[in-house]
Amino acid sequence: MWLRVQRWRGVVLIAIAVVATIWLSFGNQLVLYIHPRYIVFTLIMGVLALGLVIASLVVRTHPEDEEEPSPRGKVLSGIGLGVAALIAVAMVIVPPATLTSATASQRDINSTTLGAETQSVTAADAASVATFTTFTVVDWASLLRQTSDLTFYEGKPVDVVGFITADPDDPANMFYVSRFVVTCCAVDAQPTGIPVFLANWQDTYAVDDWIEATGQFGTNPSTASKQSIALHPDAVTKVDQPSEPYLY
Amino acid sequence: MWLGFGVVGIAALLGIRAFLEGSGFSLPNELQDLLTLSISVVIESLPFVILGILLSIVVQVWLPDGILMKYLPRNPVLRRLCISMFGIFLPVCECGNVPLARGLIVGGFTVPESMTFLLAAPIVNPITIITTHQAFGFDDGILVARLLGGLAIANIIGWLFSLHPRQDALLTSSFAAECRRPADEHGHSRTSKSVDIFIREASVIMPALFIGALVAGAIQVAVPRDVLVALGSNPLWSILAMMVLAFVIAVCSNVDAFFILPFANTFMPGSIATFLVFGPIIDIKMLAILRTTFTTRVLVQLTVVVGLLSALVGLVVNYVA
Repeated sequence: MWLRVQRWRGVVLIAIAVVATIWLSFGNQLVLYIHPRYIVFTLIMGVLALGLVIASLVVRTHPEDEEEPSPRGKVLSGIGLGVAALIAVAMVIVPPATLTSATASQRDINSTTLGAETQSVTAADAASVATFTTFTVVDWASLLRQTSDLTFYEGKPVDVVGFITADPDDPANMFYVSRFVVTCCAVDAQPTGIPVFLANWQDTYAVDDWIEATGQFGTNPSTASKQSIALHPDAVTKVDQPSEPYLY
Repeated sequence: MWLGFGVVGIAALLGIRAFLEGSGFSLPNELQDLLTLSISVVIESLPFVILGILLSIVVQVWLPDGILMKYLPRNPVLRRLCISMFGIFLPVCECGNVPLARGLIVGGFTVPESMTFLLAAPIVNPITIITTHQAFGFDDGILVARLLGGLAIANIIGWLFSLHPRQDALLTSSFAAECRRPADEHGHSRTSKSVDIFIREASVIMPALFIGALVAGAIQVAVPRDVLVALGSNPLWSILAMMVLAFVIAVCSNVDAFFILPFANTFMPGSIATFLVFGPIIDIKMLAILRTTFTTRVLVQLTVVVGLLSALVGLVVNYVA
């Protein structure tokens, strides 16, 4: 029995992981885990793996006599296999989800210069009003990093979608409209966000709510916050999580 | 019959999932993120592991016996130097290289030779070179330091372990036993042999990949990133911080340059070079996978030596740049 489990555990784990991956791709949910540019490669290798899994059930193999591990070895690999099985099962039964504010605060919003060159101040200055409404959280965060000159933001309407993370310095009146930026997979997701001033926002909204915020940037009235500029929202509306929650 | 069990089992799990989705079930944030991160590591690594197993099958079953050996120089140092360049032709990142390196040992390479390949390949592989160049160009010598540093470290490690009097003792007992098995001469078909290797390699690598992914996810949920970023501007601390980051993040060498690019303004170039040299060789997921093949003692020695050498690469870059 033990030898049989030992022999087949890998094939079973591959089968579960591959089926879960292919299933996710049908629902367009693979993007919750990896960057879209890897999807084709992942699926090709997944189909090959599935072929090998089926071959391993169909083709007659000639397993060598393997030794049973020591009792201690059995306990250790039993625990290991249990843990692996737990993730494999979770992979299938737990509905896939985007990363949450817990990871955003852990990784410190805007702590890196990711997307620093997405928008340049000079180019943005010359752009039309229609262009600004297409700007994402990442575009605005990039501009905010480059200039805190208020005149630059005058007459530039903001319309962004993201999830709420509380500002650590003034959680009562400030939050960030945030998005994760992914370069390879969820593991490297970097949180980016723009500060919003809205007194007592927690009465109406909760952390992790997906919202669309419109308004303009102005001086930040909050004294506790470290941000000198914040979005003064005209409207904050709850929206559904976008089908591609990460930005690239 | 087993196929039937499998299909019914997976269908049942998917049924539970549909039910959970319908019932609006959700986990606490930290737990959900732990799961998302761990699954992300598995999904991202799996294609490379499969590719690695396929290449390992090709080397062991489909290439004519001894063809790789035939053209390699006899002098051990030159031989390892050639082997460390193999990776240029193999776009597989670190976790995929483990099954391949195991295949090389079974196929007659010595343990240090296979180790040299294993350590150099993820760094000199063509995709890694292209992405590193896209991210950094030739700025601050980061790309050059990564390539030369990686090759040097792989060859030094190969040389160090070649001094060990009992090569068998470097391997786990189960893998050493596998290597001692005589080459199959019962005339089993190549297909049968290939499938057998797939089953055996999957059995060894997959549990390790899942456990490595879980540990990597757990560390990410538990360790605040700003602790590391705060250390960025000090020449020595930034190097250590980057090694810790590389160890924790366990991101694949094909794309790690893009991952680290946004940190380039806060961290010194030497520490970026250290990240790019250390990360592909040692990280939490890799150690879990390497443990299938090498003893704990070897892995500790490997980690210490690679850590010191990559820190040295970083210090040199900081000094020169």
